[in-house]
Amino acid sequence: MDYELNDAEKKLQQDASAFCMKEIAPSAQVLDEASKSEVFGTIKENLKKLAGAGLLGTGIEGGSIDLVKYYVAGEEIAKACPATFLSSRASSFMCGGLLNLFGTPEQKERYLTALRNADKVGAVAYTEADAGSDIAGINTLARKEGEVWLLNGVKDIVANAPIADVILVLAYTDKEAGTEKGLSFFVVEKDAAGLSVGEPLETMGLRGLPLAAVTFENCEAKEILGGTPGNAFGQISQILSMGTVGIAALSVGISSACMEKATQKAKNRKAFGRKIGSFQEVGFKLADMFTLNDLSKMLALRAAWGMNMGENEADILGACAKLFASESATKIANWAMQIYAGHGYIKGSDIEKLYRDAKFGEICEVPSEIQRTIIAKNDLDKFA
Amino acid sequence: MDFTLTDEQRMFRETVYRYGKEEIAPLCEEADLKGEFSFEIWKKLGEMGLLGLPFPEELGGSGADIVTCCLAGEALGHAGVDGGSLLAWGAHTYLCTCNIFNFGTEEQKKKYVPKLASGEWIGCMGLTEPGAGSDAASMRTTAVKKGDKYVLNGSKTFITNAPVADVIVVFASVDREKKHEGITAFVVDKGTPGFSVGQPFHKMGCKCSTTSEVFFEDCEIPAENMLSTEGAGWMIALSGVEWDRSTLLSPFLGASIYGLELCARYANERHQFNRPIKKFQAVQHRIAEMRIFVEAARLAIYRVASSKDNGQMLNPLQAAVNKVYAGDVGFEMASHAVQIFGGYGFMHEYPVERNFRDARLGAIGGGTSDIMRMIVSRIMLM
Repeated sequence: MDYELNDAEKKLQQDASAFCMKEIAPSAQVLDEASKSEVFGTIKENLKKLAGAGLLGTGIEGGSIDLVKYYVAGEEIAKACPATFLSSRASSFMCGGLLNLFGTPEQKERYLTALRNADKVGAVAYTEADAGSDIAGINTLARKEGEVWLLNGVKDIVANAPIADVILVLAYTDKEAGTEKGLSFFVVEKDAAGLSVGEPLETMGLRGLPLAAVTFENCEAKEILGGTPGNAFGQISQILSMGTVGIAALSVGISSACMEKATQKAKNRKAFGRKIGSFQEVGFKLADMFTLNDLSKMLALRAAWGMNMGENEADILGACAKLFASESATKIANWAMQIYAGHGYIKGSDIEKLYRDAKFGEICEVPSEIQRTIIAKNDLDKFA
Repeated sequence: MDFTLTDEQRMFRETVYRYGKEEIAPLCEEADLKGEFSFEIWKKLGEMGLLGLPFPEELGGSGADIVTCCLAGEALGHAGVDGGSLLAWGAHTYLCTCNIFNFGTEEQKKKYVPKLASGEWIGCMGLTEPGAGSDAASMRTTAVKKGDKYVLNGSKTFITNAPVADVIVVFASVDREKKHEGITAFVVDKGTPGFSVGQPFHKMGCKCSTTSEVFFEDCEIPAENMLSTEGAGWMIALSGVEWDRSTLLSPFLGASIYGLELCARYANERHQFNRPIKKFQAVQHRIAEMRIFVEAARLAIYRVASSKDNGQMLNPLQAAVNKVYAGDVGFEMASHAVQIFGGYGFMHEYPVERNFRDARLGAIGGGTSDIMRMIVSRIMLM
């Protein structure tokens, strides 16, 4: 038994931390306040910077994903700028990860290097107005017309859509065949006829993350991810299961930033002639932050390692990690705001932004409520 | 990173689990009702070699690593062995024998460790006093040197195993002016004149461990019964305390796994409104909370244990985090279990009731949760 990262992983962590603090962190507050057109430019620059440092899609190569490496780099990116992390993730992990795991050799050849270098930006479109955690409910349909498929439907929240060059679109190729055999991912380029990206969506937090709806009206799609229709349910299930590690990285990055800032505040701010950290109401909040942050990290690394090793219940560990880390992040952001008090509530303060950013982890990619149901089912079924 | 157990560790856990389930757990309900130390359970722990795990074979132990010691505590808790018997196991092994083994002379080790490791003797440790709990350094028990003897005066309280113990490792001050630096550890045998034990306390939980005050009134003990040197006591007390945040917490982890399984089974069997109660999300979500706790607490406890086995320095933050989480959240989980069982959970014949009472100690014994938070926040603010 050994809980330590190996030397290469430790080095990755240190390098990623140093690089992101210097190159990415300064844009975090700018991204939160800038106009959408500025945001898109800055995000693309950040993706380029990450690519230059080898941090875009760390661990995603050769048909598999090293989730420990991915987590280690991801946490540092997220700590510097959560929105940049999510945009990089939509491109390199969601889109790039699916292509890397399931693409045909030709699809990999065409996109993977370009995504890794940030020459192209990727996105995955699956959520719809009536289908999130219950993916069977999607209404986007693909109809075969001669050599091409015609896509029709609306994906209402797509990360990276406004800046994406390539989008993987989830659609029914055979609704009769049901979820498990009737769904397919299409590889669609942004200039495909019949594809239109909506106005950028405004969000509460993570305001640097480009988001929009994407509409398909008889959009011509020629390619299915992996070449064969009917495999997308397994594909999306796998990437979302692995994706728990990435959302844990997002959440731990945010909670680490909150904790560090709150600790500094508690050291520097004085009240009643003492550092406020010396009051137990403040000091104990810091201790609780540390506990939850530390356990979140451990759960995430444990899940990532289990997935790398192909352990049986690694998906359950991933669910535990995502749920625990995201709920811990909102608690930690809340405590950080308490310690900052009025100064944390003012627009332009780091904590005000992080507080809004933290919420997303609990609701994205299988919200806490559904994660709990998944985790419980695993234990309950053992005694059925 | 590597989170796997060795084959030997896995088999050991399985063996201890089965033994605990078949041989010991059936005795626990009655023993807990009586609220008395069970010599029958003690004997069974000894027969399986579980009372001397970390000591070398030549001293009657098994030479087990710390991860294996934790696996024993976890497996026994998981098997349904009550928290009291496991508290007795922990105090005996890790608080008493470990201190003699780690700091004793060859003679002291030879005299005490084999008999303690076999379970023939029962050990305890005396640190806490009526006026010195979390602030242990403020202790008032004194040891005054008189020729080749020390004379002990004072009292200790909440001493697990004291009413049945043959041996106590006790901390006393040779010079109260020196505060921490005056604290010194001694081994005292049962029957030493001037050493007496109070009536067992009636406790909320962990009832099969028996706990009382101990008194020293002009109690003369030979100087060769001192552990290490004068003034080394504080270091001895601390040296164990942080590592104990793995071994002594492992039974609480085991009890949580036991509780989770009891609840998962019950939620399948119990029907209300024409369906098993597992169909209700409020029940499911409690089960999920328990699973998350088990995974997180397991990681926290074995991180401390494996770092010791791997010869790493203990990170005091990790040990403290472990204690806060396993103690505070472990109790919440035991409460969830009672809730799932409803009225039955309030009845003694359902083990979740006992688990609930036993779990309450997690946030108190061996450094309260508040003290752990104090440690963590002090380090953070340095």
